[in-house]
Amino acid sequence: MNGSRFGMDTITLAGPLEAKLRAVRAGGFSQIMLSARDIVGHPAGEDVAIAAVRESGLRVTGFQVLRDFEGLSGHLHDYKVDIAKAMLEMCHALGSRVLLICSSTSAHAEDNRDRMVADLRKLAMLAVPFGINVAYEALSWGRYVNEVPQAWSLVERADRHNLGLAIDSYHMLATSTPLEVLDEVDPARILFVQLADFMWKRTDTPDERRETARHFRVFPGEGVHSAQIAALMQRLDDNGYAGDYSFEVFNDDYVQLPLATVVERARRSVAWLQGQVPRRGIPLGSGLRPSPSAA
Amino acid sequence: MQEHYPEPVNPLGMDGIEFIEYATSQPQQLGAVLQTLGFAQVARHRSREVTLYRQGSMNVIVNAHPEALPGMSAPAAHPAISAIALRVRDAEFAYRRALELGAWAMPTRASVMELNIPGIHGVGDSLVYFVDRYREFSIYDVDFLPLPGVDPRPPALAGMHWFGVVQSVHAERTGDWVDFYTHLFGFAPLPGGQYFGILPKGMLLKSPCGKFYLQLIEPPEGSEDIAWEERLLRVGIGAPDVVAATRALRERGVVFVDREPVQTSEKGALTQIYMGSVTFELVRSREEALGGGGAR
Repeated sequence: MNGSRFGMDTITLAGPLEAKLRAVRAGGFSQIMLSARDIVGHPAGEDVAIAAVRESGLRVTGFQVLRDFEGLSGHLHDYKVDIAKAMLEMCHALGSRVLLICSSTSAHAEDNRDRMVADLRKLAMLAVPFGINVAYEALSWGRYVNEVPQAWSLVERADRHNLGLAIDSYHMLATSTPLEVLDEVDPARILFVQLADFMWKRTDTPDERRETARHFRVFPGEGVHSAQIAALMQRLDDNGYAGDYSFEVFNDDYVQLPLATVVERARRSVAWLQGQVPRRGIPLGSGLRPSPSAA
Repeated sequence: MQEHYPEPVNPLGMDGIEFIEYATSQPQQLGAVLQTLGFAQVARHRSREVTLYRQGSMNVIVNAHPEALPGMSAPAAHPAISAIALRVRDAEFAYRRALELGAWAMPTRASVMELNIPGIHGVGDSLVYFVDRYREFSIYDVDFLPLPGVDPRPPALAGMHWFGVVQSVHAERTGDWVDFYTHLFGFAPLPGGQYFGILPKGMLLKSPCGKFYLQLIEPPEGSEDIAWEERLLRVGIGAPDVVAATRALRERGVVFVDREPVQTSEKGALTQIYMGSVTFELVRSREEALGGGGAR
């Protein structure tokens, strides 16, 4: 498994954007997943944040996250379309080719698959002039869509060239979704994969899943589902998935550790994953540049 | 998995191209190029630095208005195709439908007593306009002043008419733009291998009215290092007899590229690049066969 396919997610790190970009680059990673908050929350303004990203030399894995978009009607729909447009413009300004959208948790969304399909098509169409792909993710506490097969069924029905899936190991583990469901998904339509484990065996309710997701994720190799994560990656690899992996590790402890310490844990996770999922003669440890601390 | 509800063949009642717009800060120079191609300047915009050129059924607008629309670039010295205006049955309906399906509305520049022509964001910095006034009276009757002593309907040279527009797309994004043109306008991809003219590549889409084509071209293999941006590259002009048309145009001073792979032939021809960015492609075609006809 080529190390350059792994990237960090700014959510995993504390501190200002520039420090995150520096730490990720110093850790030998070549790509980063960005959040809208990194950009609009920058004290010197959006333009400075965008320039910092562009100057970092890091490739942008994707931009997150559009929430509660699909299934709304009337003024709520119109409002969300405005939000989506603003996010697409930021995504474009950052040079990101992927916008992440999470399945809706809104109590105002309707369980109407035709409407959801139409909404995903609309979002994909809005993204075309910017050259952006839309990655739809089943949030494990999503109201109507909370597992990969439901998300895939909508993406497949919507049938747009720039619309695909985002897979998050955390959500699949949290809902105990069997890996076999991935065999139904066209690997070319998986736009990227987010990786994280967590520290306990089960999350039984949507509330537990949300709490765990937001505070207690850990890097692959550090949690209790190591074998499942390795099997998930093996499955994706066997099915022909050739895209990016991003460490999205929300963890209250990591955001009070020095950035280099967290990035070092990410490097260890990459090495662990490469050991678990060797691929077609690519030597272990390839792709990531040596970090200064390891030298 | 496809849904099998019937799609109208021509959902907007599209009826060809009303005009092609170029943006440039050098309008006179581009005008001179257009005149060698047989276009005549027939009118001027009432309030802005915008000129209308015409021959036969083809209208070309040269826009030198220095102020850019929000999010768009101001006209540069190198001319760029900045808009395609489509004739449709009901411009308001076409516009609303496009927005409902995910098009971006573009603000228009209409001043007092000028027509507000609805437009959406197309490729790159370009717009797609919807025009429904083209039969009894035209958009030019309102916004333009005819030039005195000039034939308002100059005939087409050598039977020339719009054949289509060529657009560049980024690698692997042909599918995105096929979705764009198919779902917003009702274009239909032609089966693979069906080409016209002398540049057989990319993906061809036929307009729902059958009157013109779009050609989508990805960067050629092995050209990762060249700067390739998504934009409208050039217009295709149909002529029933390409050899006769090129002869007539050469006499007027048009220079054609005369080397493989774009050697002038009875199938088509490609002009040299003018002003650093503008070329015109000739394609063998009869206007009647495209369902057109120089009605204007």
